[in-house]
Amino acid sequence: MSEPAASSEPAARADSTRTGPGRLLVAVYGLFALSASARAAVQIATKFGHAPVAYVLSAFAAAVYILATVTLAVGSPVARRIAIVSCSVELAGVLAVGTWSLADPATFPDATVWSGYGSGYGFVPLVLPVFGLLWLRRWTRRARASTG
Amino acid sequence: MSSVNGAVPTTIIVAGLALAGYALLMTALNRRMSVILLGALGVLEILLLVEVGIIVAKLAGGTHPASLPTLIGYLIAMPLVPVAAGFWGLLERTRWGPAVIAVAGLVAAVLMVRLHQIWPIIHV
Repeated sequence: MSEPAASSEPAARADSTRTGPGRLLVAVYGLFALSASARAAVQIATKFGHAPVAYVLSAFAAAVYILATVTLAVGSPVARRIAIVSCSVELAGVLAVGTWSLADPATFPDATVWSGYGSGYGFVPLVLPVFGLLWLRRWTRRARASTG
Repeated sequence: MSSVNGAVPTTIIVAGLALAGYALLMTALNRRMSVILLGALGVLEILLLVEVGIIVAKLAGGTHPASLPTLIGYLIAMPLVPVAAGFWGLLERTRWGPAVIAVAGLVAAVLMVRLHQIWPIIHV
């Protein structure tokens, strides 16, 4: 039988970016890391000449997702800093590639994770870095509050 | 040989969405992981394994989709979803454990739709 958690407050005190809501975040990031890298690997291995720009961007997106997943799961101060960079790059990437794919569809005969702002993935790629950065900001503040 | 097998993917979609709904309710109610959630996750795992078996049987029958590597990737990844979610969710002793299970349910449903796109003879 499940019982209510003792308190909704920091009672179950999150001790890292991987705990609490971060558990969900890392799960979704891991999912995208896996699916983006598998997709990029298949695209590049089987039909690279068909849409080279799209496939290179797929591979880049995959690398960013892997980095974000690992650093969020590690959660040390250094990892948090790398995670902030990778989430920012991811947000910039989905906005840039999303715009590019709509403005110049000829370059994207085949979709990437970030095409159309992630429309092929329920726009999760657009929302994910925002939640990632919000979550990381909470940690940056907490760290600042405890040291300063 | 094909349309009979639409029942399993459809069941997986319904089961996945039901699991996701129940797990999200548990998150909203601030509950932790429960035996019920783990049991439901186990049922989802069995259904996914059955679907993998059905697809492997179709491949053994000699037909295959346009993108065989993609399908094989799905066959490998599908059964790992509930296992990974169960492992990761159990590490969490708060409401966010069930939230991880909800993701697994949604992913299972989405995977069935994608499978149909990869290989249309897999009916949903």
